[in-house]
Amino acid sequence: MAVANDKQREPFFVGYFNKIPAPLVPFLAIACGMFVAGMGLLSFSLATTANDPGDGRFVWNRVEMTGIITTEPYPVLYAPDAETGEPTAFLLSGQGKRGPGVGRTLEDGMAVLAGGVLLKRGSIDMIQLAGGERGVKPANGGTGTPPEGFAPPEPVSLGRWRLTGEICDGKCYQGAMRPGRGLAHKACASLCLIGEIPTVFVSTGNVEGEEFFLLADKDGKAAPDAIYDLLALTVSLEGEVERRGNLLVFKADFDTAELL
Amino acid sequence: MSVKYVPVTWNRNKLIYDLVLIAGVVLYIYVYLMVAPAFQAVTRPPDGAILRMQAFGSCAFVMLSVILCIGPLARLDRRFLPLLYNRRHFGVLTCAVAFVHASYVLGWYFAFSPVDPYVAMLSSNTSFGQVQGFPFEALGIAALLILLILAVTSHDFWLAFLTPTVWKAIHMSIYLCYALVVMHVALGYLQSAENPVFAVVVGASVLTVSGLHFAASRIPARAEPERLEEGGTGWVVAGDVADIAEKRGITFDVPGGERVAIFKYDGKLSALTNACAHQNGPLGEGKIIAGCVTCPWHGFQFDPASGRAPAPFTDKIATYRLKLDGSRILLDPRPNPPGTHVDPVTIPDELAKVT
Ligand code: FES
Repeated sequence: MAVANDKQREPFFVGYFNKIPAPLVPFLAIACGMFVAGMGLLSFSLATTANDPGDGRFVWNRVEMTGIITTEPYPVLYAPDAETGEPTAFLLSGQGKRGPGVGRTLEDGMAVLAGGVLLKRGSIDMIQLAGGERGVKPANGGTGTPPEGFAPPEPVSLGRWRLTGEICDGKCYQGAMRPGRGLAHKACASLCLIGEIPTVFVSTGNVEGEEFFLLADKDGKAAPDAIYDLLALTVSLEGEVERRGNLLVFKADFDTAELL
Repeated sequence: MSVKYVPVTWNRNKLIYDLVLIAGVVLYIYVYLMVAPAFQAVTRPPDGAILRMQAFGSCAFVMLSVILCIGPLARLDRRFLPLLYNRRHFGVLTCAVAFVHASYVLGWYFAFSPVDPYVAMLSSNTSFGQVQGFPFEALGIAALLILLILAVTSHDFWLAFLTPTVWKAIHMSIYLCYALVVMHVALGYLQSAENPVFAVVVGASVLTVSGLHFAASRIPARAEPERLEEGGTGWVVAGDVADIAEKRGITFDVPGGERVAIFKYDGKLSALTNACAHQNGPLGEGKIIAGCVTCPWHGFQFDPASGRAPAPFTDKIATYRLKLDGSRILLDPRPNPPGTHVDPVTIPDELAKVT
C-alpha cells in the first residue's frame, strides 16, 4: 500500500516552532558535534600537510653593492665577493612585480652601485632594487668606473642537457612569496614575468650540484612568450647549460619543450 | 512563510543552527591559522596571506560538500530533516567564506603589479586550451558568482517573485557550482600538492556527495497501489482508513503521475496535492498541526479541506475529492483548482474506533 506507516510515528519537526522533538535531540546533537569536530580535524590535517614553501625570504636591511651589470638574458649584477674577490652573481628585480630595468636603462657592462634589499634562497641572492638613484647609479661616486681589475666571468659551456623541472618567476621563487611556485601560484608568476621579472628554471635533477638556473632561449636571450603556457608545470626542456661564475644559465630550446 | 518579507525570522532553532555553523567555520579557520602552523613540517612558514587563502578556500570547499550531503541524507534518514530546514544560511555562509578566499587571492597573487588586479585575474593565464595549467581561477570565479546569485536570491521574497519552479531551477545550479569548485581545486592546488591528504579529501567529498545522491535516488518507489475503476468514473482505491495514523497522511500516486496526500484528522479525511506550494516539499510526510497540514520541509501550512494557507497567507494548492467504500478510501484522481473547498469525508464511528 502507498503508506509508510513507520514514518507516521516519527517525531515531526517544524523549524519555526521552538521545540525540537525530544527523541531527535540526541541525534541532532551528535550530528552537530560531529560537524564541528570534523571541521577542526579536517582543518588540522589539511593545514599540516601543505607543501613546504622552502626558505626563500626577504632580508629587510638595505644593502649596497658595486659591480658590473650583464643584461642577457636578464639583468644580473656581478660584484666581487667580499672575501675571495671572485665575481658573485646577484639576480635583480624592481619593486613588486616589476623587472629591474623598469623605469631605468640598464646597459651591458655598466659599472654601478646597486642598492636595495636582498631576497635569499639557496646559493644565489636577488637584489630588489630601490627606486631611482637609490637603486642604481654609476659606480664609484658617479664616475661609472668599475672596481679595479674586476670583470664579469666568462661563460663556460657545460654541454647540452635535457632538464625536467618547473619554470618560475625568479622573484617569488626567491622568497617574495612563500610558496612562490606551483600551479596555485601560476597566474601570479605570469604577472611577474609580464612585469619583466627574470625567468628561472628549477630542476628536479642537478647539473654540477645546481638545481637553479636562469632561463634563456637557445640564443641566450630572454625566454620567449611560449613560457606562459609552460609556467608552473612540470616540463622537460633541452638546451645548453652555461656557467657564469656561481650562476648557471639554461639556454633552452623551446621547440623541445614537453609537458609531463 | 512570511507575507511581509523580513530579512530573516529568527527563532531558537535557527539560532542554534547558525551557532553550530559558525562554530564549525571559526574552529576550522582558527585551527588552520593558529594551531596547525606549529605542527607544519616547513623550512619557513608560508606567507600569512597564502595561509589564509588556503584556509578559507578549503573551508568553503568542505562546507559546500556538507551542504550537498544534507539533501540526500534527509531523504535517507528523516532525522536529518531539521538540518535541511535552515540550509540556506549554510549556503550564504559558504558564499561569504569563498568570498574571503577570493579576496586574499586578489589582494596577494594579483597585487603588487602595475596591472589592475581585476584585469590581471582575467588575463594573466590564458592557457584555456590545455588541461594542465588551465586557468582554474576562472572556474573558481564562475563558482563564486553562482554562490553569490544563490545567496542573494535565497530569501523567500525571491522564491515568491521568481515562482518556486524557476527558483528551484536556479538553485539547482549549486550542483554546477560544486562541479566547478571540484575542477578549480583539481586543476589548481591539487596539481602541486605533494602530500596526498588533500587529494583524499577531495576524492572523499566527490564520492560521498555522489554516493549519497545515488543512494537517495534508489529509495524504492512506493509499492504500486491497487487501482480499481469505480464504475468507469475514474475513481481509484487510494488506501484504507486503517493505513493512516491520526493527524498524519499517506501519499498516493494517481494514474498520470500526480501524487496526492490524504490526511486523517478529527474523524475526517481530506486529500490535497502532495506538492507544497513553497518548494514542492512532500506534504504527505507532514502532519496536521493546529488544524493545518504542515509541510515537513519548512513548515508551510494549508487547510486540509480547502488547500488554502491560513490568513494572512495566500498560498493555495489543489484539493481532491474522496469517498469511503467500507474502510476503503476512494479518490477522484482529477485535481480541483487550487484552493477549492471539498467537504472532508467523515469516518464512521465503527471505523474510527479501529485505529
Ligand atoms: S517545501 Fe518549504 S514548506 Fe513545504
